[in-house]
Amino acid sequence: MATLVRVENLRKEFGNVRALDGVSFRVDAGEWIAIMGPSGSGKTTLINILGGLDTPTAGQAVVDGTDVARLDEAGLTRLRAEKIGFIFQQFHLVPYLTAVENVMLAQYFHSTTDEKEAQQALERVGLRDRLEHLPTQLSGGEQQRVAVARALINHPKLILADEPTGNLDEANEEIVLSLLRELHIEGHTILMVTHAPSIGRLADRRIEFAHGHLVQAAASLKPELA
Amino acid sequence: MMFWRLVFQLLRGSRGRLAVAILAIVSGAAVTSALLNLDLGVQNKLTQEFRTLGANIVISPPDVQQSVDGGSAGPVLFDENVLEIGIESVPEPNVVASAPFLYVIGKAAEKPVVIVGTLMDELRKFEPTWQLDGGWISSREDATRCLVGQNVARQFHLKPGSSLRLTYADRTAELTVSGVVSAGGPDDSQIFVNLPVAQRLAATGGVSVWQVSVGGSPKVVADYAARITAALPQYQVRPIRQVAEAEGALLGRIRLLIVSMVLLILILTALCVLGTMAALAMERRKDVGLMKSLGGSISRIVGIFLAEVGVLGAAGGLLGTILGAALSYWMGLRVFGTAIAPRWEVFPVTIALMIVVTLAGALPLRMLGNVKPAEILRGA
Repeated sequence: MATLVRVENLRKEFGNVRALDGVSFRVDAGEWIAIMGPSGSGKTTLINILGGLDTPTAGQAVVDGTDVARLDEAGLTRLRAEKIGFIFQQFHLVPYLTAVENVMLAQYFHSTTDEKEAQQALERVGLRDRLEHLPTQLSGGEQQRVAVARALINHPKLILADEPTGNLDEANEEIVLSLLRELHIEGHTILMVTHAPSIGRLADRRIEFAHGHLVQAAASLKPELA
Repeated sequence: MMFWRLVFQLLRGSRGRLAVAILAIVSGAAVTSALLNLDLGVQNKLTQEFRTLGANIVISPPDVQQSVDGGSAGPVLFDENVLEIGIESVPEPNVVASAPFLYVIGKAAEKPVVIVGTLMDELRKFEPTWQLDGGWISSREDATRCLVGQNVARQFHLKPGSSLRLTYADRTAELTVSGVVSAGGPDDSQIFVNLPVAQRLAATGGVSVWQVSVGGSPKVVADYAARITAALPQYQVRPIRQVAEAEGALLGRIRLLIVSMVLLILILTALCVLGTMAALAMERRKDVGLMKSLGGSISRIVGIFLAEVGVLGAAGGLLGTILGAALSYWMGLRVFGTAIAPRWEVFPVTIALMIVVTLAGALPLRMLGNVKPAEILRGA
């Protein structure tokens, strides 16, 4: 499989604090990677850099051949629109847009909107009857499924999921994990931050962080490359 | 399409927060529109008032006796033809009406009455605000009809269609009343006939004065009077200067007052919108962070917000302008004693002003450009 993500000696500092300190690893296209570690270990910082939401202090973070560290603001914007699909722990839906409009918002910033396609994406995550509902009218699990549909709508190369089940009950957690499993089977590349070892075991590989360092990789099927 | 859908949903979703801004815009637009309507309306009203005074230039021989009295002393009159040639030699596009007048004190039913001979087709132009029961006399050749003032009509029990016999010495004129004039002044006590009728009664070919009504600013009137004076040096040319200058000065003061108030209102509206938008910009940081994470450029995101603000300004401006028209109508009645009709040109001007003011008030949205999505989404 071709390498989709290549991280080389990545460093991120917030003042005197080193959130990432010389992290290196690779992810092949189609892999499902679980990024694990305690709070403050740098997991979310890594996801943010790979998703173009933040920039590294040093090192390389190459996504689909593009070094994120070298992109300007406009380049980062295009990267996020065209190559990345985000799923956040807190869902982050626009509160005054309906479910289908939240999905269409991602289409709008990517290229052009297609309401039918957005509806199909929501139908796929089991929200056929919730298309015109506002986020406040949806349960947490339903909101996260809207977020999954939104992340998928532009067919991104890389799905970045930051604690996607962190705010869900067991039943909804299972629904969302089933969706991620489906995406993985279809060949999507997924980097998922999680605290839960049981969820981490669903991934092809686990990469574990502590204090900004990569302490363990290749815990699962594939050898780590750091 | 999605752009306007987003704008609409933004407006709907933030209607509570935007209520204060909407109120400020509607109020600002209403007062601005009312003041602009008043400004234009008062000018019209004053011009109308000015014109109800009739002529604003009177041409007469020096020390002329302006009426022919009961047939006793011989009248001091002048030749209308000489004047007409002199006046026509001074072209002026702002002349509204121009006519000779002969005043004769004749009798009707053995009671003295003031008979005014003039060009009846010009009279209507001199006196556009007269209220007339009946019809105007549109031909200066009509020697069979007259207009009578309402006091004369009351005194002799006349109405449109009544017959009226006028006498002067041993001469008579049999006339039919075409209309009854309500002018609110001395005209109500006069009888108006075509000039040849009055000249035949008075057995004269002359006229008492020549009057001209000139539109435009006091300066236009003064310039025209000066040129007439130069063309007719042997005559007295008297612009009714006090009225014209008072009108000009009053208009200038009213305009200064209104422009100052409009500026103040616009600044206050912008400040109010500014306050609301500053709070809204803080609220929307999370939305902006999310939109950025979805690949939205700051120009596209702020574009949506600016369109929202523009729609707010336009809608508030439209509503306020309509309210302002009603307000100016009411203010006209209360302050000036006369209703001021809304002016259509005020609508686009007010709405455009409100859009500009609202966009100026939206300056705090600039701070959204600094939103770092990673910080916002982490802290949310």
